Amino acid sequence: MLARNATGRSVAVAAQEISLPQTADRWIGGLLGAATATAACTVLLIVGFLLYSSMPLLLSGEFIETVTRHWRPYHMPPEYGIGPMILGSLSLALLALVLALPLGVGLCSFLHGLAPRRLSRPVLIAVHLMTSIPTVIYGFVSVSLLVPLLRRGLGEGSGFSLLAAALTLAMLIVPTITLLLNVHLQQIDPRIRIACLSLGMTPAQTVRRVLLPASRQALLAATILGLSRALGDTLVALMVAGNAAQIPSSLLDSIRTLTAHIALVLATDTYSPEYRSLAAAGLMLFTLTAVLSLLIRQLGRHSRGGSHRAPAIR
Amino acid sequence: MRQRSDSLFAGFAWGATFLVLASIGALLAFLFVRGAGTLGPRLLFGDTAAWAALLRHAPVFDGLWPAVVGTLLLVCGSSLLAVPVGIAAGIHISEYAGPRVRRVAGLCIDLLAGIPSIIMGLFGFGLILFLRQTLLPDANTCLLLSIVCIALLILPYMIRTTETALRSLPEDALLLGPSLGFSRWRAVRHIHLPLASRGILSGMILSVGRAAEDTAVILMTGVVANAGTPQSLTDKFEGLPFTIYYLAAEHRTVGELDRAFGAALILLLVTGTIFGFAYWAHRGLEQRWSLRS
Amino acid sequence: MKQLADWFGMAWMALALGLATIPLAAAGTPLEAFRGATGTIDIAGGTAHIPVMNEAAKQIMTAYPKVRITVAGGGSGVGVEKVAAGLVAIGNTGRPLSKQEAERHGLISFPFAIDGVAVIIHPKNPVSDLSAEQIRKIFAGQTTNWKAVGGQDAPINLYTRDEASGTRAVLWKKLLKKGLIAEHADVVTSNGAMKVAAAQDPNAIGYAGIGHIDSTVKAPLLDGIAPTQENAAAGHYPIVRKLYMNTKGEPSPLVRAFIDYILGPAGAKIIKSKGYIPLVAG
Repeated sequence: MLARNATGRSVAVAAQEISLPQTADRWIGGLLGAATATAACTVLLIVGFLLYSSMPLLLSGEFIETVTRHWRPYHMPPEYGIGPMILGSLSLALLALVLALPLGVGLCSFLHGLAPRRLSRPVLIAVHLMTSIPTVIYGFVSVSLLVPLLRRGLGEGSGFSLLAAALTLAMLIVPTITLLLNVHLQQIDPRIRIACLSLGMTPAQTVRRVLLPASRQALLAATILGLSRALGDTLVALMVAGNAAQIPSSLLDSIRTLTAHIALVLATDTYSPEYRSLAAAGLMLFTLTAVLSLLIRQLGRHSRGGSHRAPAIR
Repeated sequence: MRQRSDSLFAGFAWGATFLVLASIGALLAFLFVRGAGTLGPRLLFGDTAAWAALLRHAPVFDGLWPAVVGTLLLVCGSSLLAVPVGIAAGIHISEYAGPRVRRVAGLCIDLLAGIPSIIMGLFGFGLILFLRQTLLPDANTCLLLSIVCIALLILPYMIRTTETALRSLPEDALLLGPSLGFSRWRAVRHIHLPLASRGILSGMILSVGRAAEDTAVILMTGVVANAGTPQSLTDKFEGLPFTIYYLAAEHRTVGELDRAFGAALILLLVTGTIFGFAYWAHRGLEQRWSLRS
Repeated sequence: MKQLADWFGMAWMALALGLATIPLAAAGTPLEAFRGATGTIDIAGGTAHIPVMNEAAKQIMTAYPKVRITVAGGGSGVGVEKVAAGLVAIGNTGRPLSKQEAERHGLISFPFAIDGVAVIIHPKNPVSDLSAEQIRKIFAGQTTNWKAVGGQDAPINLYTRDEASGTRAVLWKKLLKKGLIAEHADVVTSNGAMKVAAAQDPNAIGYAGIGHIDSTVKAPLLDGIAPTQENAAAGHYPIVRKLYMNTKGEPSPLVRAFIDYILGPAGAKIIKSKGYIPLVAG
């Protein structure tokens, strides 16, 4: 009701003013358009920058070699390929996703039907709160708690590993997945729930057999968004994964991601062979995340399921 | 059989919820227990007297004050850049743009939102190298560069929240303007924006939280371990997230490790407060709708 | 309330004392060169240098707050790259510049200290003597258990430095004789981080500048020679490097003053207190 009043007041205020001339309206439209153009141009600038810096590699045909080769600076002759980093990024992101996806689905099922009425709101707030915990803090706590735990518990390796980083990253993407799925579940027609109830289905049955299957698309979108976040993370990988440029073969291997590689190698001399791999790493990373963004867009077009961005608190 | 698998599912959902909450609880508890003892004026100002530091009579060493100032400047600066542009672009896309512009702009913004922050940092670094070779031979990585890059990082979120809030308005609200003979801008200004303000505001605040926490961008665009409080936008600066990263890796003494925990607690306090504001804005504006008037 | 008042009182007193003593301390000391100077000196690069740079910055900025000195790490690679690009005034390296680097960018080097590079392990590790050959095999990944070199039956966890490290370059050239460093070695990004890693992991082996070594880690003898700065300076311990400050062309007066301060007696005192051996200028 209050809302309506507020609108009414606003309308009244507007009606009292003399209407703006058309030209002014056009000016404002142009100004707003300039803002959109700024955002759009930024993307083009960044793509251009990445392509331009990779140009020497692309033109000489070294790009493919750089992307597929090993990183072996101590061998004769040395190799400066980022193959291990690409595999490291992918395996870390996928593993984190495999860990986080069941947790996110479980959390959402809990929120939609299984939770006692009093619990579901605080739990949802807690999940929202998780999004406000800085990445560097996840990394820091992981270094102080998880890494020593793994080192002592497993008696093998330094603890800085694919596993440690994946566990940490999983906590980072659980809220992303949960919140996206949650918004979708909230938008499901309430009549469906009533129908389920009248059929005598338990809450668990409703969630598992009706609501979740109906959210398959949102689940896919959540998966891709989670993957994209995991691929783009720098700090957790840099702090926890160990940064050894090797092809991962076990959970306890120390690995290096593309993001960490960029952070590590930006420190080298511009003329060094290490530095040249930087552009390739940037371009690969951008391509990977861009493909995921496009996939989510495609999904959004089909499902019209509202926003896939982190939704506001409800 | 079906019954059992359903109760198994219920158990799984409870288990997942418990696991996630317990992990987060453990994380926060660990930080608070470990960090609480470090809080105090010494944590912020080291050996320098608080007054001297605040009035800038004396530089602060071994304290977090410069990092706190750096982070606050970063948050304010990038919001100042990103909020107006973000809201304007959001309004443009949802109210003014035709279907083709909307599609192309939407694509660009989705791509921008997907860009990892380390690439934004790389871009900023490249930008400085480019500027040095062309227009500004004295350009250098600095606070201003970090502010610009962080603003670009949070811009797509600002645009999207504005756009979503405007587009999810009920149809009759959208028809109100034309029916009163309002020009488009007038309808936006006096009907759509006030109605969508709560969504926009809470979205804005959440995006600002991202500006406070990002480390990868500032890592490459001007943050250093020791700089003191910045005196101008072209100075190097310190930042809380970077301080945590740096001290976590290489504390020389137990005291420095303690400072890392103190920094983590302060940063958590900052992002938690921002989150609290977003929550408050959302709840409060559910009842009091209009932002202005 | 009372506590608050006390606290304010103390703060005032500290301020008053600070203001009173600073000019006195500065007069007639090596800090004199900074009197009246304003401006910023950005320093980046080698991580072995950081303790010395930080302390010098603290001394200078406390006496003359108008001078701003920022110190960043990153490794020797950063030192070369940033000073060459003109992004910092002083780029530190823990290794001599290659001829190419110096000529291409017109860099001038100012060596100021001697630092050995030593292998470090966890303080509770019983191993106390390693031969160069053993170390080479460990870092190449051929020896994987501490038992093989007289320690406990435990796997060896290798730690190495990032690509930009001068410490790594020195160790690789002088101790490992350009041999392999196993791919699976964990990578850390500074001398300080290496020390922390070795202090926390009981099975660790890594390496750091001797100046960084303290009681939290242990540096085993190398072929029977203790890795100390004294042995390094006297030429007994072979894995030695100089620490350099590098500038692009002739330094500006303010930067020159900073370099002179580091090379002078006050700088030597700082260098010594941080565990390095000062090189007397000239």
